[in-house]
Amino acid sequence: MGAFQWLMKKVTKVFGHSTNALFYTLLNREILKEINEITKKEEDSIVILNEIGKRAGYESCERHSSIFKFMPGSPKKILEYFEILWVVVFGKELDDYSYEEISKEGSKYNDYMLTINQCPICAGYGQDVEDTFDFSKTKNEKTEGLACGLSGMLESVANYILKVKRNDYRIQIIEQTCMAKGGDSLQFICKIYDYKQWKELMDSKDQEKATINAYFGGHLEEEIIQETKLDIFDKFQDVISIDKLEEYLDEPLETIKQRVSDIIRDKLNMEPDQFFDYFRNYEEDMVRIIGYLGIHLLNEYGGILEKTLKNEWFSKVFGYIFKQIREMILLFIPLDVIRDYNELLVNFLEGIAPIEMVDNIKQFTGKDTINLLFEGAQMALENLGIVFTELKENVWEELKKEREDGLISSESSAVDKTRERVPQIIHIIQELLMIITDVLTLPIRVLISESHYGLKTAINSVISEEEGLYGSIRERFDSIFDKIEEIRK
Amino acid sequence: MNYSRADLTQTDATMNQMRNAVYQLARFMEKNGMSDLKVKLRKMGENIAKTYIRYWEPTDQVNNSNLKDVITTIYQKILNSSVSINIVEAEKLVKVQDHKCALCKYQYDDVEIAGCEIILGMVSEIINLINKEVKDVSSVFIEPFEVAESRAYGNKVCIQAYKYKIGERG
Repeated sequence: MGAFQWLMKKVTKVFGHSTNALFYTLLNREILKEINEITKKEEDSIVILNEIGKRAGYESCERHSSIFKFMPGSPKKILEYFEILWVVVFGKELDDYSYEEISKEGSKYNDYMLTINQCPICAGYGQDVEDTFDFSKTKNEKTEGLACGLSGMLESVANYILKVKRNDYRIQIIEQTCMAKGGDSLQFICKIYDYKQWKELMDSKDQEKATINAYFGGHLEEEIIQETKLDIFDKFQDVISIDKLEEYLDEPLETIKQRVSDIIRDKLNMEPDQFFDYFRNYEEDMVRIIGYLGIHLLNEYGGILEKTLKNEWFSKVFGYIFKQIREMILLFIPLDVIRDYNELLVNFLEGIAPIEMVDNIKQFTGKDTINLLFEGAQMALENLGIVFTELKENVWEELKKEREDGLISSESSAVDKTRERVPQIIHIIQELLMIITDVLTLPIRVLISESHYGLKTAINSVISEEEGLYGSIRERFDSIFDKIEEIRK
Repeated sequence: MNYSRADLTQTDATMNQMRNAVYQLARFMEKNGMSDLKVKLRKMGENIAKTYIRYWEPTDQVNNSNLKDVITTIYQKILNSSVSINIVEAEKLVKVQDHKCALCKYQYDDVEIAGCEIILGMVSEIINLINKEVKDVSSVFIEPFEVAESRAYGNKVCIQAYKYKIGERG
């Protein structure tokens, strides 16, 4: 699984509102039962739940449309990213599944069959007396199953991405086999149509349209009205999407330089050296800006950092940690490592930035770079609410107390709740420090890598992708995301 | 082999789309002449509770002394919500304030019901089912009273109110 696929899944999972999966599944069942109370016809109920899923997915996409601009823009790629769709829609990892491409002659894209051997929606269906929706009453073999709402959501999200990316193809996702209906797995068939075929397909679904019209009084208007004014995501969406970012990771430095140059030419209408010329003789500020932007980029996702720092206690803890890292970083990171980073920056700028600028950057020592980065980062943190002048030099910790009866106390104060979070926060900090150490060894590997196979070779140079540096960092981030999830609970 | 329902109690699922689906259901029900949505949603919650309690229950008895902790545990374990609870003895009410209600987030102009009616039905049924077999005068039984405030109505938090009785089921 690619780095960005993994990251997207983690971020979606951590920052979405989750409940217990059994509650989710039972709610899905109850919605279907309520629909059937009205329709009194099981086949119609399935169609209605599928439509409700589509509408629910569409509503969610509309609220977070910018996120989808980073998704890949071709139907094939979207289906390759089905795991992300599943996590976006269901919030749960897609375990134990297989993926089959079914060739379709005369068509640009093939169909895909996805077989999922463990379906949370169907888990244990039929074993409890409240499972009253009777699938045996559906006569039509093509009727979907208990995950029909989910297939509607998946289809809606997939097509929303294609529309946002201005792609004329559409995807139909049908639940073909359902465990609650007696199947041995959950199977989705994903068919890709060009826009004309898609229109014909929609027009041909008379029965389904009649059912939806009868109960909803009309169809979901799915067309997205594109805003005339393009935002920054629109401008960069052709360049920045998660599949393209993964390609960048696979490519060596020269190709990255070429790509950055192309972006500057395309988007800013100037030559790279003209662009970098703006920073000539202000190289120190350029490094500070990197530190400054790094913090603000962290804050980009929903302003979480800013919101967190509004809390006086969190603000102090963050400030304290930042100060400690700044003071200690040179103690345990060899200056050679920082120098390697300088060299990497110089290598990157050579050929695309003015010679004078490159020469100035060559004069920086590792310590200079670190200090400049931290100065920039500190300015950003001050913007976001940390008052460094008021910081004290201590952090306290109290392990979470667990009650013998297993119940959660209703009387816990804000202070107690904060104390319960301290072990998680400290764990996150430890993991972050370890990641910083891991990452700072990267340039050495890149530069001494004899064949210059690029970043990925260096990242995975130890044994394998999972056991190498990449695997180590991913493991640490997994742990961090788990702790964030615990804190959010 | 597929998951069991007991397995599902150990994992989480993201509610964003499912929460939207609840309000789509409400629109569908209204459009098709269903008049008492409140009763319907509470009934859905009760049905969820009846199944859920076969796979997980927070305690084996609910009485006056642990009522608040049991409710806190149910909200935390099932809905991932940290709640504040206030018992108003004069009115025999339990008021649960939920800042992060799993079923309410946005205000809809065209829907006049809060998704947390489902939660009212579910929580009260779980507590009543726990105490069903317990012959103890201190047992507490609760029933849904009202959604006093909801993010679906434009309020900042959801406040779900339950009526309670000690020693007898309402």
